[in-house]
Amino acid sequence: MKSSPNSTISVSVTVNGTNRSADASPRTLLSDFLRDRLGLKGTNVGCEHGYCGACTVIVDGQTVRSCLILAPSVDGSDITTVEGLASNGDLSPLQRAFQQAHGLQCGFCTPGFLMTASELLENTHGTLSEEEIRSAISGNICRCTGYVHIVDAIRAASEERTS
Amino acid sequence: MTPNQPRLVGARVARVEDPRFLKGEARYIANIVLAEMRHARFVRSPLAHARITNVDTSDVPDGVAVFTGDDWAEHGIECTSRYEGFQPATMPILAVGKVRYVGEPIAMVVADDPYLAEDAAEAVMVDYDPLPALTTVDDALADDAPLIHEHWDSNLYVPRAYASPDYDEETADTLSISARLSHSRHSGVPMEGRAVLAEFTAGRFKVHTATQIPHLIRTAVATAIGLPERDVQIVSPDVGGGFGVKAQAYPEEVACALAARALKVPVKWIEDRREHFLASHHSREHTHQASLHYTEDGTVRGLTAELYVDMGAYSVFPWTSTMDTGMAMGILPGPYRFTGYKVDGFPTCTNKTPYGAYRGVSRPAACFTIERLVDWMARDRGLDRLEARRKNLVRQEDYPWTNAGDLVYDGGSLSESIDVMKEWIGYDELVESLRDDRKKGKLRGLGMAIFTEQSAHTTEEFKKRGVPIVFGYETATLRLDPTGHLTIAASIHSHGQGLETTLAQFAGETLGLPMERVKVVFGDTDQVSYGAGTFASRSAVLAGGAARIAATELRQKLTRIAAYLLEASEADLVFNENGVEVVGSPGLGVSMAELCRITYQRPDLLPEGELPTLESTKTYDAAPGTGTYTNALHMGVIEIDAGTGGIDLQKYWVVEDCGVMINPLVVEGQIHGGVAQGIGSALLEEMIYDENGQLLTTTFMDYLLPTAQDVPFIATRHLETPSPSTEGGIKGMGEGGAIAPAAVVAGAVEDALSEIGHVYVSRVPLTPERVLGHIADARRQQ
Repeated sequence: MKSSPNSTISVSVTVNGTNRSADASPRTLLSDFLRDRLGLKGTNVGCEHGYCGACTVIVDGQTVRSCLILAPSVDGSDITTVEGLASNGDLSPLQRAFQQAHGLQCGFCTPGFLMTASELLENTHGTLSEEEIRSAISGNICRCTGYVHIVDAIRAASEERTS
Repeated sequence: MTPNQPRLVGARVARVEDPRFLKGEARYIANIVLAEMRHARFVRSPLAHARITNVDTSDVPDGVAVFTGDDWAEHGIECTSRYEGFQPATMPILAVGKVRYVGEPIAMVVADDPYLAEDAAEAVMVDYDPLPALTTVDDALADDAPLIHEHWDSNLYVPRAYASPDYDEETADTLSISARLSHSRHSGVPMEGRAVLAEFTAGRFKVHTATQIPHLIRTAVATAIGLPERDVQIVSPDVGGGFGVKAQAYPEEVACALAARALKVPVKWIEDRREHFLASHHSREHTHQASLHYTEDGTVRGLTAELYVDMGAYSVFPWTSTMDTGMAMGILPGPYRFTGYKVDGFPTCTNKTPYGAYRGVSRPAACFTIERLVDWMARDRGLDRLEARRKNLVRQEDYPWTNAGDLVYDGGSLSESIDVMKEWIGYDELVESLRDDRKKGKLRGLGMAIFTEQSAHTTEEFKKRGVPIVFGYETATLRLDPTGHLTIAASIHSHGQGLETTLAQFAGETLGLPMERVKVVFGDTDQVSYGAGTFASRSAVLAGGAARIAATELRQKLTRIAAYLLEASEADLVFNENGVEVVGSPGLGVSMAELCRITYQRPDLLPEGELPTLESTKTYDAAPGTGTYTNALHMGVIEIDAGTGGIDLQKYWVVEDCGVMINPLVVEGQIHGGVAQGIGSALLEEMIYDENGQLLTTTFMDYLLPTAQDVPFIATRHLETPSPSTEGGIKGMGEGGAIAPAAVVAGAVEDALSEIGHVYVSRVPLTPERVLGHIADARRQQ
């Protein structure tokens, strides 16, 4: 079956715990689907070639670059975006740690870092070393902070989880 | 400041602006959706230099609007220097008749959907008659070079020259070392690219644009379209990083405005990353032919330099195409007290993307040149590199010191920073241990650079630079509302620097207000007074200064009113989180909310003649306007992998002095970020053009940004020498981190290879290929 790039396909996903459906064209990127079809503007797009990590979201428990995935391919998936981190408007411990440690400046890369760090914390038992943190975030580019305070923030969040 | 008053200045306050960014609620332009909004895409030149012979839009699908150069030929962005002999190069909105760099906009399509706009742009067919591409300064300045702008006499924007009166005398009978030193072309590359969303309603433009300089963009857009500035509103909401790239006016801003007026719908354009590399302004590319003159004992007497700066195809608004050259001419002597100086500057037009600002503006290249030369002099004279610097630095008793380039250094702590650094890092032991490592075959080395960072310079400095608009001041309006909450409306911007927090700290303290009672707004020309915006490490000093002076005026008025209401003496009142209280009588006072309510709503209770308003607007220029100088000493340790040429940057230390700190947490964040960008300059970042003027580095796979594994932990120590010339003694410091790393890493490479041979590192970035070249050079000496 051949479909035109502008034909539409219905895509249903669970986003931040809520079932959502919307139409997408076969070529709609997941990042654009989240932002423009579902109105979740928190995921920023930094390069559209899968390098900078700004658009990182969690799909079925794993971080992905939402600019590299076509929306129809995630039909039926469970997705977490940055909007899913705070509860009832209160910052999560990870988000609080970023604020306390001054782990963000312009904020554009921040949602991607938060999602990468969420996955890291989720999969770690015990406190993270600086080396482990730097390795885990080396696929996310921040142009403002020089990473020092981001590392501090993730380490503080990891210490809080284990204390 | 009276006792018992809470201190906000100097406190490590967590930023108040953070929650919206952390929750994904930031208002970047890409996130703004307007009814009827349509999407633009630009057709860009694939050639560096060519005549356009035909633009065929007949295949553009129905329902898609298309504009070409002829539609807007009468509009353009002009920025002509006041320097005599400057050759103007007005930037077209869409190219007319000729293209001058790869990426130059030729046509614009506007469609219902961004995907459809990309498809439609592919349908525009352009025919070219190629011309020779001039991709280097040498090519462009050759006698037989074709002219990029046909009406010019040569491809030089304007020749510049300066010599100190005692140059000949000081440099006679000295030793000299000469070299050609260069920085590659690179750019700030913020994570958010440029973005524009323009509307035209009721005869008025509203242009959202991701910019650092909203009012200057208003001037540029209004001038290009031919409108009173009143009829243009510029809104720059949350901006995802700037670093200077967003401190220029761009054709896309004018194009979206014109298209919105023509189509009667909002028009949005979101730059993609490839466009960013091709069409957002570049920076940094300098080549210096320089000689340092010194005596046998290692006293520097003079400097001779020719500065070649590749400014690309057009003069950029508001800087002109002479800014980098001019600033380098002033700062090249660095923190040193020699007086003999002769410099010639060659800002040159080439077939490359226009060249604008990037954090540090020319100072990374200037610092690189002087610091490499001083290292080489130290080696030649057998001196310790740090002590060779100390011997030649401006001394405490010299301030205010007019440097050889005619800049006035107002104060600092240069020699002290060396003392602090030496003790902190155990310098002597470190030098020993690195030498031992090298004897065992490891390629480990230490590098260093010391510099002064001109900041918050205003009228006097920009007058000298020949720019058409002299960036002389900033303005802040403070307004207390009847509930005792303060709004600061400032003419600067903030795109990561944390000014929503630091301005609130700096001005809020004067009124004893806790952070949660102060809100800072900026970025909307309808809401704030005219001002230049955020660049040149100026916003905390200038907008902060204006806000603090306005706060002082409000405090005086509130003091008069409170004294009258409390029947107390003005001298006995203190401002704190409870409001205004009588010293020594806790509980006897009036809350800020009550004081403000009475002022606005019970004017009958006010002292006679006191007007019922709590507003103050102040403009501040940090006189004398020559800038206040932050200083810093950076040091770093590297290890080279002899097999791959890879550099592992293992340690990095910064001792800096930016005067009184408003918020050390924010200061450190700015240092870290600047150093990381400097590390990019030192190791990774390079815009590479081929001989036809094609930019080969247009993705993050070819143009490498530093990651968390390239940037080490950056350790910082602060000295606090108050500025003698600014409100509160603060100095600007946003750019400083980026200035020194290239010089530090280059010196460390020489040190690391010193057991093998003496190399001279005169070019960055130090890619593995270049490092292998240096290793081979060193080995050839054996």
